[in-house]
Amino acid sequence: MSLAQVVLELALVVTTMLVTATLVFVGPRRLVAAVRGYRWRLEACLLPIAALGVVLALRWSTRDVALRLERRVVGHNITHTLFALEQRLLGETPVVFLQSIQTEALTEFFVFIYIYGYAFLLLFPIVAYFALEEMEELSTLLLAFTANYGIGLVCYMLFIAYGPRNFDPLVFEPLLYDAFPQSRALTNQVNQNTNVFPSLHTSLSMTVFFLAWLTRDRYPLWVPLSGFLAISVALSTMYLGIHWFLDVVAGTVLALISVYIGVNYTVDGIVSTGRRYLARRFDRIGKPGSE
Amino acid sequence: MEDVGSPTTRRRLLAGTATGIAGSLAGCTERLWSRAESPGPDQVSLTIKAVPADDDIIAAKIASQLRENFETAGIDATFEPIAKAELHRNVLLGGDYDVFVARHAGIDEYDALRGLLHSRYATEAGWQNPFQFSDVTADDLLETQLTTADEDRDRVLSELFDHLTETVPYTVVAFPSRIGAVGTTLSETVSGPPYRPIDYLEILSEPPDEGPQDRPLEVGVFGEALTSRLNPIVVDSNQIPALLALLYDPLVYRTDDGAIPWLAEDVEWDGGSLLEARVTLRDDQRWHDGESLDAEDVAFTHRFLRDTSLGDTESGVPAPQYRGQQSLVESVEAVDSRTVEFSLRTTNRETAIRAFQVPVLPAHVWEPRSTVVGERQTEALVHDNEEPIGSGLFELEAVTDDTEVELVPFTDHVFYDADDRPSVVEEFPQFDGIRFVVAPNSGAVVDLLEEEEIDLTGTPLPADETGRVSDLPGGSVLTEQTDEFYMVGYNSHHEQLGNPHFRRLLSRLLDRDHAAAELLDGFAEPARSLGSLFGVYESELTDEETELTTFPGSDGEVDAEQARSLFEAENYRYEDGALLE
Repeated sequence: MSLAQVVLELALVVTTMLVTATLVFVGPRRLVAAVRGYRWRLEACLLPIAALGVVLALRWSTRDVALRLERRVVGHNITHTLFALEQRLLGETPVVFLQSIQTEALTEFFVFIYIYGYAFLLLFPIVAYFALEEMEELSTLLLAFTANYGIGLVCYMLFIAYGPRNFDPLVFEPLLYDAFPQSRALTNQVNQNTNVFPSLHTSLSMTVFFLAWLTRDRYPLWVPLSGFLAISVALSTMYLGIHWFLDVVAGTVLALISVYIGVNYTVDGIVSTGRRYLARRFDRIGKPGSE
Repeated sequence: MEDVGSPTTRRRLLAGTATGIAGSLAGCTERLWSRAESPGPDQVSLTIKAVPADDDIIAAKIASQLRENFETAGIDATFEPIAKAELHRNVLLGGDYDVFVARHAGIDEYDALRGLLHSRYATEAGWQNPFQFSDVTADDLLETQLTTADEDRDRVLSELFDHLTETVPYTVVAFPSRIGAVGTTLSETVSGPPYRPIDYLEILSEPPDEGPQDRPLEVGVFGEALTSRLNPIVVDSNQIPALLALLYDPLVYRTDDGAIPWLAEDVEWDGGSLLEARVTLRDDQRWHDGESLDAEDVAFTHRFLRDTSLGDTESGVPAPQYRGQQSLVESVEAVDSRTVEFSLRTTNRETAIRAFQVPVLPAHVWEPRSTVVGERQTEALVHDNEEPIGSGLFELEAVTDDTEVELVPFTDHVFYDADDRPSVVEEFPQFDGIRFVVAPNSGAVVDLLEEEEIDLTGTPLPADETGRVSDLPGGSVLTEQTDEFYMVGYNSHHEQLGNPHFRRLLSRLLDRDHAAAELLDGFAEPARSLGSLFGVYESELTDEETELTTFPGSDGEVDAEQARSLFEAENYRYEDGALLE
């Protein structure tokens, strides 16, 4: 299976899931209304979309530079620290426990969750919030995603860490790539194998769940489903040997921070604060002797 | 004021308590002071570096096992997985490591040990003495083997191996079988997994069952950043096995059946003591860009490998690759356009031929890259060489980032259509070039084989893929014992590792039989004899066994008591199970 086939399959499965969920949670009537009013809706959240786009584009375009900077200049290898800390705090790393209850069905479930469930979990709230009467929730979600990626990127530069499967193949099994080797083609497009701390899989999923809780009066049923999916994603990253427990903890903390940013700030606000600050600086520079 | 006595009592009580506390504190502070003033020895701590399991699962397993065994022996050991290019930077360029585990390409001739161990190369980059090992006796023996022959040389080498068991700059764990896989098309024609350029030349010269193909041979490989650097003289990169050697021809190829003159048409030997060689090049040879290849290119290559700054720095900037071979050459001179004269530092032809195996570089491409760009760094060593111009039977057609590399036959090569070409390439080419398909991991390579997207694999497969390969219809597993080996290297500049006794004890902390059987799943020969412990797979010199292979434990697990008594016998001390410095 080539990369194109993997992507096609992913698109098919996730689209099916999205359509089903949209019909159940959003309903056809609201969907039709949303599609009719797409123009003002897009305009309303143009800034957060642009911000997310900028961060993603930055991440994509600076991959080589970032990798070199991370590995040769600023990065610290913390793999062993994560392993040793978990052993000291918990006696044994939770990954060992999770992998010890391994069954074929469980592996299939977690592989499905890690790839398809995760993609669905991230995309569905975009559709759902888009269908609301106001774009506030969608803007919050997009800004929180942006914060996740932005902060995650900085962490990946500072911390070089390999996941359990890479650290000790005698103890940890690389379940994902054993069950589904081509998925690496997919994950390689988005990630290097040193981007482990924190787990962005966890942080983005938890972000969706926390926001689902905050908007529970809009989509009450989405709360338990997103909660189930988010926790499953977090568990799957450990079960499959990709992340350490501490990556998942850090991912959850990152989700909290991102949700806080998403709820309390707007892109508009951040931009104008920045502009005011710059204007003040330039103002001072513009008037000689004023300082 | 009835309770007048009570404040007194209270005061007395307080005073008493204070004295008590002060007293006990005094004892405590005394202890703290003494500890602060003369800190006792700390626990020995070592960091083991190796590539992560994604890149080489065997190296990662050995490193993990080693970490566990070191810990049982009381050492504070950590394992630091590190990407291949970075590992090479750390170990081969920076000397920035304590212990490393790596797969070495093998010792082709005893003289290769000279590059690996001579103290002269301790400051050089690359596989030239990455251990910072400096030992006068070893230096002496390594020099003497150059100028002795037959039994005399054997005696020198035996003495060298004896000496190495005392000093142990590094130690070999096992010699892995190379594992590959082949699909239906070639299952009859290919017998071993290709890993040297000559293997590919053989495959492309062997008519497949269905006759010559007008498509390229499809080879599946995996690894990180395989296509980003195509520079043949650097070590800090990850490369597709044999790719660059297919692009850059040497003067002479060495095969199991003897030497094949390649760019050279003929080599005439001369000289009473130290050898001199007069090499005649084949007529009308060209580089891939159409320029003609002459004797000056050959002479340039040797000058350039010795000093890539071409005299612009005082002490020179040697290339990190091929230095061991190149250093056999005392001087080299292009006499006319087809003749090169070499003065060599050895009296043995077998050894001298190593110097002719370095890839010849085009002077017109590399000369401008001699600019010094930093501390011990020239343009040539930082250049990615995206468009490699060589003289090999293949030229680079296209590179798609991290996806594929396409080679096409070089039609201007003297062997392309000639009648009098070496027998290995007599029926070259049966395919229209080679296409290396980069997959994300070993499982994906086997997937490609299953879908008949590739003909065979080019990167060694981990043993657990063999089951899947044999289940494929038409697929078969290829295995071959090679000279490659897994090694554990020690940095002699480390405080404890500078002590040969310590290195010798550490070298015993790995159960080589267990490693070959379990960590390498039986696809390996453990290092047991004197020669094999230092990388010589089959040595006629010595099959003696040493105490280095007596493992203080069983089934791969170190026995803490046994290990402890070994270290204590060397005057090391323990405290709470921790080995002290």
